[in-house]
Amino acid sequence: MNKKIVAVIFGGRSVEHDVSILTGLQFLDALDSNRFTGLPIYIDPLGQWWTGSALKKRSLYPVENGQSADLTAVNLDLNAVNMAQPQLLSRSKKLLGEKIDTIPFDIMVPAIHGSNGEDGTLQGLLEFARIPYTGCRLLGAAVTMDKAFTKQTARAADINVLDDLLIDRPIEGVFLDEKNVAKMLKEAMPNSSFPYIVKPVNLGSSVGVSRAGDMDEMIAALLAVFRLDNQAIIEPFVDNLSEYNIAVRMGEDGKAETSAIEQPEREADLLDFKGKYLAGSKAGSPKLDAPSEGMVSLNRVINPDGMTVAQETFIRTTAAKIFDMLALAGSVRIDFLCDSKSGEVWFNEVNTIPGSFAYFLWQDAPNPMSFVELTSHMIDEGFRLSKARLGSTGAAAGGATIFQAG
Amino acid sequence: MHRSDIGDPAGQPVFIWLHGWGQDHHALVPLAKLLKRFGRHVLFDLPGFGQTPMLHKGAGTADYADALAKHLKRQNLTLKGPVILIGHSFGCRVSVQMAARHPALVRAVIMIGGAGLKRDRSQMWNLRASSLIILGRLARLSDKILRTSFRQAYTHRFGSADYRNAGDMRDTFVSVVTENLIAEAAATNCPTLLLYGSEDSETPPEIGQKYAALIRNSQYVELEGFGHLDILSRGAHQLEAQIKPFLKEVL
Repeated sequence: MNKKIVAVIFGGRSVEHDVSILTGLQFLDALDSNRFTGLPIYIDPLGQWWTGSALKKRSLYPVENGQSADLTAVNLDLNAVNMAQPQLLSRSKKLLGEKIDTIPFDIMVPAIHGSNGEDGTLQGLLEFARIPYTGCRLLGAAVTMDKAFTKQTARAADINVLDDLLIDRPIEGVFLDEKNVAKMLKEAMPNSSFPYIVKPVNLGSSVGVSRAGDMDEMIAALLAVFRLDNQAIIEPFVDNLSEYNIAVRMGEDGKAETSAIEQPEREADLLDFKGKYLAGSKAGSPKLDAPSEGMVSLNRVINPDGMTVAQETFIRTTAAKIFDMLALAGSVRIDFLCDSKSGEVWFNEVNTIPGSFAYFLWQDAPNPMSFVELTSHMIDEGFRLSKARLGSTGAAAGGATIFQAG
Repeated sequence: MHRSDIGDPAGQPVFIWLHGWGQDHHALVPLAKLLKRFGRHVLFDLPGFGQTPMLHKGAGTADYADALAKHLKRQNLTLKGPVILIGHSFGCRVSVQMAARHPALVRAVIMIGGAGLKRDRSQMWNLRASSLIILGRLARLSDKILRTSFRQAYTHRFGSADYRNAGDMRDTFVSVVTENLIAEAAATNCPTLLLYGSEDSETPPEIGQKYAALIRNSQYVELEGFGHLDILSRGAHQLEAQIKPFLKEVL
């Protein structure tokens, strides 16, 4: 059998650049080698694309200005629409001008978390170039990147979510007015008071998320968000907070299937970026070929005992409903907040490209699936979804025939 | 022997996990977790490693196998039938000895980067190795007669990291690395899965292919892109994908 070439793209211009490298390499390591060959594509923080088998070695990172002899700078060929296979192009200067080499592949796996990868931009580019890819389509990826819009959609479908207030970044030269913020808080959430939680609307992960205990902290938190994003979302801080996460994928019968439920363990008030992704690795420790495993090494309880049947049912049915409603695909992780004293559970957000593709949640799912099975599932689904997309014209359409005389 | 259990304590079959040289049971935990639903998993610290005291000085892999067999019986781990041995590197030497010396206790063997057979070396390599042996003996002789300390310098310069760090286990180390388990492998009858990383420089695929030729009932699989140690961490999912169908065949 001819092995399909699976281009896994990771890194990227995102605050979650480093974690994305881990997710991408983990996916490559878990490909079914009887069916697929992996092709790593790394986007450095400046946006340059690189390929080369050296990328599979974790000891290569960080790549210093891409100046590794084993890497090749590449572009995506957007004109390969009518070719048999998508391809990358690499240009090199030769004695008699420029030489262009092509590197073919069959499908692309976006493994970039957050901006410019998980948010629909890459998906749009791939749709445009008719390149098969895995995971959510353009709409699902774009909608879920906007935390506020996702919550509005959920609210409209009668899913329990926290109240919120959206604040736009003030135009340059204008300062945040405390009184104005206080007034807006009162209007949007009349039953709440400090503390609040402040988050960027459009970033994944926990980057830029902080807790505001009073107005001073609120202004500081908003300023921190506005360094990263154009819009902030403020929600009441949930007392006795515990979080529940669940992964969802399309089952063989076409129905959304849910994974095991995890409860991240944490000591701090809030799981910040460091706590979430650097768990298990010491700063300054030697770079091994197997460093912290990112989301995998985070302390967590799988299928926690404290969860009631009603909570579990809410989490599973809500997760499946959101997956269907937004026509999601791949292995997405849906996060919930819970007040462990009152027992109330709220839908929080969707990660369409979660860390490690949340494979560890599938191992203990009601219908367990190994990581190798998961990568195969995502690739098969990606081919199917990309093939099913209509709306493009073929050769028969001619083109601009209205201008024909007669 | 110190041990750590994973999976259903009443489950069947029983998997006995045997780690590599210089490691302890922790090295095998990620993979054992992936296979936990297949039965009961007992991960040992082998004698002289982790929290298990060493056997006598200079004990070889046959001694390890005999001690393990005795221990399994004493702990009632073979009560419901023979066990599945799953080893890495040095642990595979013990597995092969177990299968040859105590076949009634062993249902199947899974070897990951298994050691135990001599590699084909170039004449140049052999020449260098024998000169080094002579040099080492001369150093020791000189130390004895002339009270020099050449031997220490020799070890520092030419001894492998495992040899240098072996401490009280050095005699065992020497006896282990010089043995060649051809006869034991040929005597192995149980189903055996041989898994080797294509980039493994400690126990290269060549050793796995030799085992495959010697063990009648064996399957050999080479895993692209993995080395001797990272096959256990980032390679765990590929190992799982090979081991599951093997278990379905065997169980």
